[in-house]
Amino acid sequence: MVMVMAEEEENALSIEPEFPKSRVKKIMTLDEDVKRVSSEALFLVSKSTELFLQLLAEKSAEVAIEKKRKTVKLEHIRIAVKRNRPICDFLLDSLPMPTETVKSDKPVVVADRPKSVPVGTRRIDQIFRKSEAQAQVEAEVEAQVEAEVEAQIEAQVEAQLEDEIEVQVAAQASEPVPEPMEES
Amino acid sequence: MVDNNVGGSCSNYNENGGIIKEQDRLLPIANVGRIMKQILPQNAKISKESKETMQECVSEFISFVTSEASEKCRKERRKTVNGDDICWALATLGFDDYAEPMRRYLHRYRELEVDRTPNNNHNVQDRGN
Repeated sequence: MVMVMAEEEENALSIEPEFPKSRVKKIMTLDEDVKRVSSEALFLVSKSTELFLQLLAEKSAEVAIEKKRKTVKLEHIRIAVKRNRPICDFLLDSLPMPTETVKSDKPVVVADRPKSVPVGTRRIDQIFRKSEAQAQVEAEVEAQVEAEVEAQIEAQVEAQLEDEIEVQVAAQASEPVPEPMEES
Repeated sequence: MVDNNVGGSCSNYNENGGIIKEQDRLLPIANVGRIMKQILPQNAKISKESKETMQECVSEFISFVTSEASEKCRKERRKTVNGDDICWALATLGFDDYAEPMRRYLHRYRELEVDRTPNNNHNVQDRGN
């Protein structure tokens, strides 16, 4: 009984790599500080990445089902990421912004990005920053316009008030002192 | 250095201005897609954009875990990132759920390694349980 169970467990624990080792290693060593990596480390990174991908795919599919969709889309992935604490912490900022993917299934995210971007910023991150900058500029312009309009209105109101006061003062000044003249 | 931009893939520059091709910093989309398909329900579809996004996500994951492990090595003045460092990094970053499966995989891996290469440098002599 124990033997059978052990065998089953062993079969379930496939050591066969799902990802090409050399590619995993390349990605690991993109970081200049990472120079040497043991084969065990390489193996564990590969396996844990597999688990991670499975987890994220599963969660994204759940979101798609919630939204009654058959196709898993970027928005579903985003929601799945947001719902998972450790994943959210490192991944949320790296996802493409929703505004960048106006048309469904158009490969905007990858193809339209600027070609020369330092790897440290991660290309998806760059789009996020660009939108932020744009939003900032727009906000500044808006604020400026608002301020100008407000100033104009203020000036108008002041001018009006001044006029009114002048009229009143003038009216008072020219108002005849009550005289019995009018009664008779 | 000749840049073979195969298949029209985008390039990135690394910190020294060297070109990093997409195929070097992403896992193959075929592998990513296959694993996703295995997990998803039968009738589910995956948009191309989602697959590409997942590619980026997994590369981020690899970098994230690796740099955490590498930092530990640096502090302890070790040059080689080993399996324990990876386990530690996973736990530190909140992926404790992975710790148990990783330990089992590592155990299995070491067993197989002993069978394959008797002269390897892992101390896996006492593997009987």
